[in-house]
Amino acid sequence: MTGTRRFSDKTVVVTGGGAGIGLAIARRFLGEGARVAVLDINAGDARAALAEEYGSRLLAVDGDCTEHETSFAFHNRTVDIHGPVDILINNVGQSGRERSAPFHESDEAVWRFVLEVSLLSAMRMSRLVAPAMRERGGRIVNMSSDAAFAGDAGLVDYASAKMGVVGFTRALARELASFSVTVNAVAPGAIRTRAHDSVPAEVIERIISNTPAGFAGEPDDVAATVAFLASEEARFITGQTLLIDGGRWMI
Amino acid sequence: MKPEASLDFTGRKFMVTGGANGIGWATIIRFLSGGASVACLDNNAAALEAIASKAGERLLPIHVDVTDTVALNAAVEKAAETFGGLDGVVNAAGVDLQAGVETMEDAAWERLIAVNLTGPMKVCRAAIAHLRQAGGGTIVNLSSGAGLRPIENRSAYSASKAGLQMFSKALALELSGNGIRVNVVCPGAVDTPLFRSGIPGGEEGEKELQSIRARYALARIAEPDEIAAGVAWLSSPESSYVTGVILAIDGGRTFH
Repeated sequence: MTGTRRFSDKTVVVTGGGAGIGLAIARRFLGEGARVAVLDINAGDARAALAEEYGSRLLAVDGDCTEHETSFAFHNRTVDIHGPVDILINNVGQSGRERSAPFHESDEAVWRFVLEVSLLSAMRMSRLVAPAMRERGGRIVNMSSDAAFAGDAGLVDYASAKMGVVGFTRALARELASFSVTVNAVAPGAIRTRAHDSVPAEVIERIISNTPAGFAGEPDDVAATVAFLASEEARFITGQTLLIDGGRWMI
Repeated sequence: MKPEASLDFTGRKFMVTGGANGIGWATIIRFLSGGASVACLDNNAAALEAIASKAGERLLPIHVDVTDTVALNAAVEKAAETFGGLDGVVNAAGVDLQAGVETMEDAAWERLIAVNLTGPMKVCRAAIAHLRQAGGGTIVNLSSGAGLRPIENRSAYSASKAGLQMFSKALALELSGNGIRVNVVCPGAVDTPLFRSGIPGGEEGEKELQSIRARYALARIAEPDEIAAGVAWLSSPESSYVTGVILAIDGGRTFH
């Protein structure tokens, strides 16, 4: 699927689009003709990587997706510049891995941070785009994680948030189905990103040894799946969570 | 759907069972329009006759029943020989059976399992060597929402489709070292000849259709091409890190 422009005349929002999977998603939509708005705590990386090639089709805004005011202003600006949002990719998320702890010692502030970034930000941005999508149709793709199914020790908050994304996806899919809006999620397994690099090598080794494909995926693997779910091709798929994990879970 | 949305399958070689109508045929159309060569295996002579005029260099129709091991093996070899190999397989052949368990006839049960569950195993068994030889490939098996949630009086159908899911996952594991991906698509109700054959005519049928549509969040049943879109995607490099998954294309019914 190269050289096609499935998303010409579409406005796409990618939260957390500054790096890793989010950046690959933003690049994929830009490459297929879309206007893309990125909200990221560090959107400069997206500008550096994409602005020269895609010019005014990229709107990269620095801001925190967990703040309502910031999200609200970002959405307004996106609509002003690019028009109403056709496709929302709720990509932003944080595992809080660097602050993980045995559950009985875990810090409630970390729970709140992880749930805010990985679940509530998706709900917040979805609520902002929902009114126009109810009028015009649309696509929402949420980022779950195979961590939701793995239930890794020390990541109770992250697993909860990412399984929360699954429930959010299903409920919102049902609510918006009659408005030609589909809502789906993807659940990546081991993907080679900067966050992935911060995971201890023995953990990566263990994950890959449990991945039938035998290697970690690339951000582009996730972007290809997200693009499919956002396309006209997938109009009858809604409420699903699709694993992109090289066969690790098969559930 | 937009024709420009079709994936590039130039030079790829596929084999589709149950290919002469319904989801199988919709899938073949997508493969062909993407530039692939396709062997269409089907046991329905009338349906094959209906597509005979389209046969040519890139479409090879073969009359075969997937339960007939000898004939099936020969059909797979013929397909591979004609195209010079195989890159992908789609198992779309399937039959339905409405019957309560208390009055189930052995032959009816066994025929259904033979087509819906053992059939895909036989097809894969015959095709794997060719996929391996090609350096990798894709297998997509058509299960059903009935394999995720049971349907009353369709115990054999539901069991066969659930069995096909687990067969596919086990095969995905078995073949992962060969670059062969195995995935499953679970449609809900699709407007195919198989589906229509289970709906009575007249007002009664229309009432049943209405109640079926109401079960879907999108309030309608699928067109075959909407299922084929997912099958084609899973058969393409776009899904290169996806294996062993169950993709429900059901307009919001199972929320799998």
